[in-house]
Amino acid sequence: MAHGGDTRAPLAAVALVVALSATARLASAQPEPAAPPPATEPGSGRAAGAAPEPTAPPAKAGDEAGDPTPPDAAAPAKGPEAKAADAKAAPAADARAAEAAPAEAAPGKTFWDGFAFGSYGRVIAASDAAGRPGRDADVVAHGSRLDLDNYAELELRREDHWESLGATSRLVATLALGNSIFHYSGDFDAAFAIRNLYLEETGLGLEDFSIWAGSRMVRGDDIYLCDFWPLDNVNSLGGGVRYAAPTHTTASLHMGMAQPQNPFYRQAASRPAPLNQFGAATVDVLDRQRWLGALRLEQLVLLGPEPDKAAAPPPRAGLKFVVYGEAQHVPAAQRETATPDVFEDVPADRGFVVGAQIGAFTGERDTHLNLFVRYATGLAAYGEFAAPEALALDRTAAGAHEVVVAMGGNWEISVFALTLGAYFRSFRNASEPLDFGDVDEGIFILRPHVFFAEWAGVAVEGSYQALARGILTPDRGPDDAPHPLTAHVGRIGVMPFVQPAGPGAFSRPRIHLEYAATFRDKSARLLYPTDDPFSLRSVDHFFGLGAEWWFGSTSYGGT
Amino acid sequence: MTRCVTRSAARVAALVALGTATGGCMDFGGYDEPVELSTHVDDWRDQIIYQLLVDRFADGDLGNDFMVDRTAPGRWHGGDWAGVESQLDYLSGLGVTALWISPLYKNVETDAGVDGYHGYWPQDFTAPNEHFGDVVALRRMVDAAHQHGILVIIDVVTNHVGQLFYYDINLNGQPDEQVRGSGDKSPVVHINEYDPDFDPRGIQAYTSLGEAGPAPVIFNWDPATNHMPPWPEALQHAAAYNKRGRTLDFEDPDQLLHGDFPGGLKDLDTTRCDVKDAMVDAYARWVELSDVDGFRIDTIKHVEREFWRYFAQKVRQRLAAQGKERFFMFGEAFDGRPELVGAYTQTDLPSADQLERENTCVHDGLALTGDQLDGVFHFPQYYTVVRDVLQQGLSTDRIEGLWSARSLYYGATPTQLGTGIAPVKTLVNFLDNHDVPRFLFQSDRPALHQALTFLLTEDGIPCVYYGTEQELAGGNDPANREDLWETGYDTSKPTYQVIARLAALRKAYLALRRGDQTVTWASNRTGDEPDAGIFAFERGGGDAGGAYALVVLNTNRDHPSSPVFGGVPMHVGAPGGTTLVDVWSTAQPQPAYTVAADGALAITVPPLGQAILVPAADVVPGI
Repeated sequence: MAHGGDTRAPLAAVALVVALSATARLASAQPEPAAPPPATEPGSGRAAGAAPEPTAPPAKAGDEAGDPTPPDAAAPAKGPEAKAADAKAAPAADARAAEAAPAEAAPGKTFWDGFAFGSYGRVIAASDAAGRPGRDADVVAHGSRLDLDNYAELELRREDHWESLGATSRLVATLALGNSIFHYSGDFDAAFAIRNLYLEETGLGLEDFSIWAGSRMVRGDDIYLCDFWPLDNVNSLGGGVRYAAPTHTTASLHMGMAQPQNPFYRQAASRPAPLNQFGAATVDVLDRQRWLGALRLEQLVLLGPEPDKAAAPPPRAGLKFVVYGEAQHVPAAQRETATPDVFEDVPADRGFVVGAQIGAFTGERDTHLNLFVRYATGLAAYGEFAAPEALALDRTAAGAHEVVVAMGGNWEISVFALTLGAYFRSFRNASEPLDFGDVDEGIFILRPHVFFAEWAGVAVEGSYQALARGILTPDRGPDDAPHPLTAHVGRIGVMPFVQPAGPGAFSRPRIHLEYAATFRDKSARLLYPTDDPFSLRSVDHFFGLGAEWWFGSTSYGGT
Repeated sequence: MTRCVTRSAARVAALVALGTATGGCMDFGGYDEPVELSTHVDDWRDQIIYQLLVDRFADGDLGNDFMVDRTAPGRWHGGDWAGVESQLDYLSGLGVTALWISPLYKNVETDAGVDGYHGYWPQDFTAPNEHFGDVVALRRMVDAAHQHGILVIIDVVTNHVGQLFYYDINLNGQPDEQVRGSGDKSPVVHINEYDPDFDPRGIQAYTSLGEAGPAPVIFNWDPATNHMPPWPEALQHAAAYNKRGRTLDFEDPDQLLHGDFPGGLKDLDTTRCDVKDAMVDAYARWVELSDVDGFRIDTIKHVEREFWRYFAQKVRQRLAAQGKERFFMFGEAFDGRPELVGAYTQTDLPSADQLERENTCVHDGLALTGDQLDGVFHFPQYYTVVRDVLQQGLSTDRIEGLWSARSLYYGATPTQLGTGIAPVKTLVNFLDNHDVPRFLFQSDRPALHQALTFLLTEDGIPCVYYGTEQELAGGNDPANREDLWETGYDTSKPTYQVIARLAALRKAYLALRRGDQTVTWASNRTGDEPDAGIFAFERGGGDAGGAYALVVLNTNRDHPSSPVFGGVPMHVGAPGGTTLVDVWSTAQPQPAYTVAADGALAITVPPLGQAILVPAADVVPGI
């Protein structure tokens, strides 16, 4: 975590290779489970690709002062430069990981076998002005992260380098915890989810080739301020391959399946036990899965001269181009009607996604800008775990579509940083008439930071969001004629913080205070049920004391 | 590089900002703009109404299929306004020119295992029933109907709300099913606090020590089933209700007017000014939102006449001021007595004192007159003609008897700002509807075709219940509320073809729509007599000018009959020597009959047959 002055060059090199995908890792998850542990420090980038250097001395905290972390350390850097940089960066890059995961040299071998631990997390104690719990006030799907719920991921992995093959094995298990805090609720229970459980083999037969199988989060770059992965965000059970060419070209293919718990996919029915036995048996009358395949092509174009590997390479600016496609399919099946033993056909369904990303980065600190565009249709328009609703008349998702245009970026200079996030999303369900499920929404967020000291600063956030749904407002008479519902919400917030990792919008860990004022118009208030405080308040106040961290997590490198 | 990035960022930012600020591309097709009311009808007698239950007619939007269970007739089935819109060509092909759709406001979702799919359990008179769509869907449907030349009539309930409160008879603050009495010294009495028996004093609280005064009214609060306090707000107070419990004796005027409708439907005090205004505002607002063309009004005999005076007149005035004229309001009095049913169409000016009291509700300076409704659902004919004659084969002189009394019981003067036609000329005739068994439940196809001939040629406005054209044959509610989509909307169905042809004939011959009506033969014989089962009537003159048509029916199932008895033939109004052609016949050439010099006309009609005769010179070919 600590960055000594002498490690700046290798760290920057790592950042060059992985630059824009940094933002993806920097984000946490949206509402419930998602919550990708960002890994800004090179250590996590190294962790993604190689075992920690066991002999590396822990860097002193003071060494890293003034050495802001390049954005994209978490991206698996597979190019030769990256490997070189990795090798150099590793010792100082993640001293804590090294300490946490005391690897052992196996007798007679020169590679390292070892366990490592990584985590992403955020916890906040929050209240409104009336003493009620702090609460998410966004009306859009991916609003400001100022008021996100508590969430954490604990990643445990085992890494083995097979020297004779030049290959590396990595087993990753990530346990995610939802918003269940015993010390708050008194409920001695927790909501857990397995977010990663996969084995990846790299360098088997082909140096830059990797293959994995299991359950895995596969994500590209995110917009940190919106907690949103606008292009690719696939969570499934399956496997994939990835090839990273020395030309900074990366191709990855992912095939998987999922069965969200919804009657669209599964229906259980009761039947008499077979062979004249007592009781009843349960039969899955409808039991189908959603199959998906995703292809992602990425090209980095690094600007400026090739670094001299013998010397500390300077930061390099670059461009990043990504094209992404996805296909989904659900087979036809049958389900039982409300009349037992009477069945009806359920048609097959499908969906597609196409999208692209253009990014640019300076290679210095976390300065970058990513632009995204994505179009999804049919089944794919509804999101990965959502069962299609409001179907077309043929009872498929045909006709549903979603368009996303998004932007995320960060600019840092001296003691200043400016982070931005924005997106516009238009979703139409398969049902042709407009209805509540049809949405146009967007948000624009700016978060300037000032760093007072190496370990402290303040961020101010301003955002505007709007949401239109395919309905008219209720009619209560001529003076309140129905009109399209477009809700507008504005927010300003201030967040003083301390962060030992040094200045930087993405430096973590961080402890922060928060105040945010949310302004909602009448249409925004209409979105909430009667007597909900948000239906009554034009202005809301949010006070919080929170913490956020990430280190050593591999989850966000993509396939 | 930096400039390029900055420029790109600015463009995306502009796109995002524009999208969010404008609400994106949400396109309501203009149906989010205020409606400009207009008049879409010339003469209501030209119309053929098609009554449909929205939930059962067509499902055009799966997005609103909430709680749908099509295996049970008493549950939501998924039909909606988009479905109606999708089948307008089917309706046009049938010859329909007006739709009467089931109630459109928000209902109690479900009650005692039965859903509010029918629409007669109002909870919020101001909100659309989300099972059917939203205001945009309603407007789209109405607009599309108008483009097809089809009017839209909405169903109106003013008598009651759904089962939205209970009487806390035992004062324990919860709804109970009580049992009183030992069965030994006292009878066992079951008391349901939602639906207690009528008490003229108002429902009384009762404890072990005896009566304890009026029972408190407690509104339900169950959002999941929409048992919620009603809207408009004026209806959220106990004083807005009569609170006397379930009507047991419909012949008792007190119970009829003030009792809860069976099933716990709470009776509104429709003599109150705030209730009257709430109803006018709620329903006129629906017209202002959707440009519909008329009201079919539920349970009118359970509501005071003073309410109808106020409601009908204030609605007419409000709509006429916005350009909506000839708005048609017809009521349903589920009763076979024409004197009772017709009373709601009479110009009925009350005593001066009563009128003065009623005028205290008037805020706009336009004092009340005696005008009530523009028409009524012709229930007396349903019993006397459809059931007794057309289904059961009783003598046809009953028809003549019923018709001859029309002028006595039904309004003879058009209402001010109304349809421009006397109510007696705009009775809404029907063979069956959602409250009675379908015609075919108790009869057969030939009789149905004859009944349809009668319906579409007689004076008044014919109303066809949905599914008749597909020969649905369900019994009593809810068996008579089948899903029409199960028929595949088959336009080749014989009865669909019959209705379409009759509609075309009615459209082609003015006499069948607007002519005065005179019975030329009716018989009290149902046996072997030569005229057994014959009923004949002619239409012409009046608003039809010189147009003429003669309709002859033989309701006898056993033998051909003729309008002649004892050597006395039928005499008609057509001049002697006129050749009348049976335009209903499918024979080629169509049979022709010549009126004798003395006006006599000889014709023989096969069992359950009919003839529609028009002068040869008027025949419109190709129908």
